[in-house]
Amino acid sequence: MEMTIDQYYTPQRQSRVAIGIILIKFLRMTIRSFWPILLSFFIGGRNNDSFGMIIGYIALGFAAFNLIGSVLTYFRFYFHIEEGAFIIDKGILKRTKTNIPFERIQTINFKQNLLHQIFGVVSLEIDTAGAKKSELTIDALKKEDAEALRSFILKEKAQIESPLESTETDVAIEEDEQIVLHLGVSDLFKVGVSQNHLKSMGILFAFVFSTLNEVTEDVPELIADELSGYDQTILNTGWVMFFASVIIVGIISFLYSLITTVLRNYDLKLSIKQGGLKLVKGLLNREEISVNKKKVQVISWSDNPIRMMFKMFTLQIEQASSAEADQLKSKIKVPGSYQTQVDSVVKAVFPEEFYRPEERHHVSKLLKYRLFVFIGLFPTLIGAGISYYFIEWEALYFLIWGLFIWLTVSAYYRKRTYEVNDEFLKNNRGTFGHIYELTQLYKVQSVQIKQSWYQRRKRIATVVLSNAAGALKVPFIPIEQAEALESFILYGVESDQREWM
Amino acid sequence: MNETFQNLSVNPNDLPSVKEADFNHIEKGYLKVSLISGAVFFLLLLIGGFCLIFFNDDIEGSVKVYSIVLGSIILLWGLNILVTVKAFPKKQYALRERDIIYTKGLLWWERTSIPFNRIQHAELKQGPVDRMFKLHSLKIFTAGGQSSDLVIPGLREDTASRLKEFVLGKTAIDGNDD
Repeated sequence: MEMTIDQYYTPQRQSRVAIGIILIKFLRMTIRSFWPILLSFFIGGRNNDSFGMIIGYIALGFAAFNLIGSVLTYFRFYFHIEEGAFIIDKGILKRTKTNIPFERIQTINFKQNLLHQIFGVVSLEIDTAGAKKSELTIDALKKEDAEALRSFILKEKAQIESPLESTETDVAIEEDEQIVLHLGVSDLFKVGVSQNHLKSMGILFAFVFSTLNEVTEDVPELIADELSGYDQTILNTGWVMFFASVIIVGIISFLYSLITTVLRNYDLKLSIKQGGLKLVKGLLNREEISVNKKKVQVISWSDNPIRMMFKMFTLQIEQASSAEADQLKSKIKVPGSYQTQVDSVVKAVFPEEFYRPEERHHVSKLLKYRLFVFIGLFPTLIGAGISYYFIEWEALYFLIWGLFIWLTVSAYYRKRTYEVNDEFLKNNRGTFGHIYELTQLYKVQSVQIKQSWYQRRKRIATVVLSNAAGALKVPFIPIEQAEALESFILYGVESDQREWM
Repeated sequence: MNETFQNLSVNPNDLPSVKEADFNHIEKGYLKVSLISGAVFFLLLLIGGFCLIFFNDDIEGSVKVYSIVLGSIILLWGLNILVTVKAFPKKQYALRERDIIYTKGLLWWERTSIPFNRIQHAELKQGPVDRMFKLHSLKIFTAGGQSSDLVIPGLREDTASRLKEFVLGKTAIDGNDD
């Protein structure tokens, strides 16, 4: 191990594979920005027109430029370790030298796409503490080198931060990993089946329409052209067509969510380490994410009607995010966790002696009535009123909407409770499924009490607790409860000496 | 319905209550600042509305059209002035031993409290209208998104910088710098 570390004291290049990986990165970017042109070239190329040829040469030029660029980038990229800092020296035209002291490094994550996996290399992402975009990427390193480098840096960092502790224990920490959750084939299938398929339908529609927009400027015209000949037949087969297309879209959406789920969460492993959690997942893009225990602000788990049958939750771990940009990084999703696994993750990250069921405090009934009035009653009355003019008694169908909203709002209200003890606040929500949010009170950064004029008349209030990952709301509770929460949480935050991010 | 929470180690009723803190009003001059800013906005709107009718051939420039469009803008302006004046006394701040509190809002009232040991940094800001009245805003930042940032407007320069020093001084002692 020491042998591999020694080499890093002199400037190092990345693994050779990096050339290919950088090239592919470049190509991806180019294709993403120029694909309509490329498409027109392929279509135009068949007609042998001169314009297509010119485009073709331009595309070839780009490809050559990319190739040279990626090779140069590779040769001009050095990194090494020097006096408790990690140094990267890179750039072709503009040379930049980045120097990161170990103590500013938060986490080091590994990523592997298909190429990486074939050649046994990983790309390294170094997250640093800082306000702005704070990431460094090394495109390709041999896996064992990267592992050695990471454990070395983290060990050094621990030594700098607490020099009193012996390094012996740190070495032991690295080895001590306990797998909590491993998605097997059947679990993965369950997760895929119980995805939110409506969401994938939306994504697909958006994709199809934006693509059509790229290719042809006028989607409406295109559709009108397509349909103009079918007027008569449409009238006859309209319903059949409609149902057929609904079924087809449904099947495609279902397959889409199933496939993306499998690709994204293939062989997912969540393990508990001394300092926090480690998540490895993915088939084509294999990534490894480490979560620091201190930085976890909120743990939430949720299900939907299908997941309920499987007794599965989607576990979400929200960390303190330094910038708006890495919002995605700050939320880690683990689909397909069973209750026991959720519990063990919570106990690993948060102090377990306080993790217990407490008295459930309901929110005010007024929330239910107000929701019903705004989403249910008004639309029903307006809709029924207007349509009565046109279709008379059939307008009564609108009452179904009102009834439906009343039932959903009632279901929502029944589930909408919160629990509080010395350490935690837990929000319980959900309409068709359940959502549970758990946060540590001492990590709160600001306490807000909000009252609209209506709430003031009814002596109720909404409490908003913000932490470094976002905000939790407890709506429509009696003002006395809100104020008790406010003073208790402030007292807790102000008297707690623990680090909160 | 229990008034307080039975399972907590400290009874919240025994803790100092936030609403009974010693609140200060912000400077009277800030009301003028808000009114002037509002006036500038609505005047621009009026001019815009007028130009739209005057230069657009499709809209008939009759007295009726003018009075409907400009009248409604003036009505909104009047409402805006009323709400601004009424809501002004609601803008209050308080300093306690370990946190800073700010309240605002007439129809949508809110009270925000931020403990000193959760403040990342603070800065003074001054807009162009603020400068005429020699007023400053104190902006307080916490970590993470903008959801929990706080702005206290309408402070005299000496008050504002004293507040800032106090808040940041407290932060350095209370907080454990990351």
